[in-house]
Amino acid sequence: MRVPPGVSAADYAKALPEFEQVVGKEWVFTSDEDLDLYRDAFSPFMGEPEELIASGAVAPITTEQVQEIVRIANRHKIPLYTISTGKNLGYGGSAPAYSGSVVLDLKRMNKIIEVNEENAFCIVEPGVSYFDLYNYIQEKKLKVWIDCPDPGWGSVIGNAMDRGGGYTQANYRNHFDSHCGMEVVLPSGELLRTGMGAIPNAKTWQQYKSGVGPWIDGIFSQSNYGIVTKMGFWLMPEPEAYLRGTIGCMNFDDLGPLVETLNYCENARITAGFPDLASPLLGYSPVGQLQLFFESGAHITPEHAKLLATVRDGRSPALEAYGRAQGIPYWQVWLSFHGPMEVIEAQWHAAIRHFAKIKGSTAQLVDKTALPIDPADASKFHEPELGVPALRAFSIGARSPYNPTPSKGHMWFSPIIPRTGEAIIEANKVFSAAARELDMPLFRTFTLPACFWERAFVFILATPVTTDPATNRKYREGFKKLIAIGGDHGWGEYRTAPVFQETVMNVYSYNNHALHRFHETLKDAIDPNGILSAGRYHIWPKHLRGKKS
Amino acid sequence: MNKHPASQLLGLIVAASVGGLCLPALADSPNEHADGIAVYTKWCAPCHAPGIIHPGTSALGAKYQGIKSGVILEWTDLPASYVEYMVRHGMSVMPHFRKTEISDSELKALAAYLSRNTP
Repeated sequence: MRVPPGVSAADYAKALPEFEQVVGKEWVFTSDEDLDLYRDAFSPFMGEPEELIASGAVAPITTEQVQEIVRIANRHKIPLYTISTGKNLGYGGSAPAYSGSVVLDLKRMNKIIEVNEENAFCIVEPGVSYFDLYNYIQEKKLKVWIDCPDPGWGSVIGNAMDRGGGYTQANYRNHFDSHCGMEVVLPSGELLRTGMGAIPNAKTWQQYKSGVGPWIDGIFSQSNYGIVTKMGFWLMPEPEAYLRGTIGCMNFDDLGPLVETLNYCENARITAGFPDLASPLLGYSPVGQLQLFFESGAHITPEHAKLLATVRDGRSPALEAYGRAQGIPYWQVWLSFHGPMEVIEAQWHAAIRHFAKIKGSTAQLVDKTALPIDPADASKFHEPELGVPALRAFSIGARSPYNPTPSKGHMWFSPIIPRTGEAIIEANKVFSAAARELDMPLFRTFTLPACFWERAFVFILATPVTTDPATNRKYREGFKKLIAIGGDHGWGEYRTAPVFQETVMNVYSYNNHALHRFHETLKDAIDPNGILSAGRYHIWPKHLRGKKS
Repeated sequence: MNKHPASQLLGLIVAASVGGLCLPALADSPNEHADGIAVYTKWCAPCHAPGIIHPGTSALGAKYQGIKSGVILEWTDLPASYVEYMVRHGMSVMPHFRKTEISDSELKALAAYLSRNTP
């Protein structure tokens, strides 16, 4: 039987029956066969001794059971590692950051406590997936939308706690920002409610976020200070209509003005749907249509393909001339609008007027439809942009007629960069040169960032995981170098898998790592025994600090 | 390839369910595979229902190159033991599934359903 590190076999043997007493024998896992199910399916260490593994797993179904488990873990100093649905693939999956921890698997806590149509919010437990919440809303015919990331089987809470993003309107796409109120089991086992939830018999827990005094919700995300057992989220009232259109620009030098105009239109709320950058001329799809490439392939003429070979850091005068002759835009932004038809039509026209300042730009209406659409038609769109969860994004990396060599998964390299055309070009230069030198298949001709969040761009680049340990090792080391190179340019990752969390945290080093030292100070105060999710985002308890670096 | 009409119909309904329809008729009708269908609908259909928009179907279609369908519901050579192995071990970008997601009894029902046309 596996035993957690730093715990004697005798102490672990005492803790296990106590765990069983709380959750039932069926929901405590100790066999190799069961614990292998907690491996990260996309682990870049697959088959190597450094792979992060679990020594046990416990699956409670109520908050009270979570509290009891935490108390037992404290008594026996058992390291726990919390997962919700365990589907954080590409960012660590269900494996613990501190190898050998006992995974606290919250998947069975899958109650949808409330969906409130009148005030457009929900309260859910950690095991609730986007599919679960969507299906619940559809079955009850409630007129609210969820905002989901590409893989719909993720946890609504888990994704928010890892600060993921989605695809509907700007104020819902940032999943942590769109939450309102938490219930948290602290490392002591004590229960805490944040915001207005701190008032006994609270009436506005999901309506006013900050309550009074320090607003502490943020410290529970990407951290290990507590276990969130309930969380509220604001939902979007079902919009009346949807409109989608493109703005195309013909010149390489138009990228800067295109981004500048997009920023203005988004910040002024002329457009609020997910803006999606593309380059038809460089063969780069919008993020929301990447799956089409893997489903149907690229449709590029031989002449176009030949000219793509002349591109350097996105620029090619010959390709630009070809694009002008053929009417293929160098750059394109997809704009989407949700709301009453007369409002979104007016917004679209206002957006066209602003983008028209870019000489030679063109506007094209793509879709205009009343909502709700027939669910059978959702696949004609990028489903999450209509609040519909799917798993279509798994075409990335999967075998298809256009990808004969499937991967074993991927690690997301996802640095935040400024929202300017200049930054896009600079990041392409810097990262593509580094990726070439490191022999990493990260960049095609040119890469455009995603606009999940207002005010900043994020690159989302898939580093493949293979079945060959030597290749995985090369990519892991390369990934760390890319993080450091990004840091040298003032860019940092927004989220990363445990294997890279130390390297990423080291980029956030202002004033001798003041931020990280503050994280450690909090850890020592809140979790003196260091039992919760040791190592998550490089926050180690005192007794492991330095030893795990 | 044995194209089972009922499975084709189910596939269409399941494809629609991913877009938001539920399966009241199937759930309410007596069916020896009702439990297996429920597991399939929740966990497998989003990737394995018919159509290239489902990455599992697309991947299997590309793998078998017309030798057999990419739609697992249509397979006639899928032993229950292979379904159980795949769910617990994964393949390519399909991850394995934990017992808190698909319990052993649910897996047995799923395997029985997916292997129903396999002699």
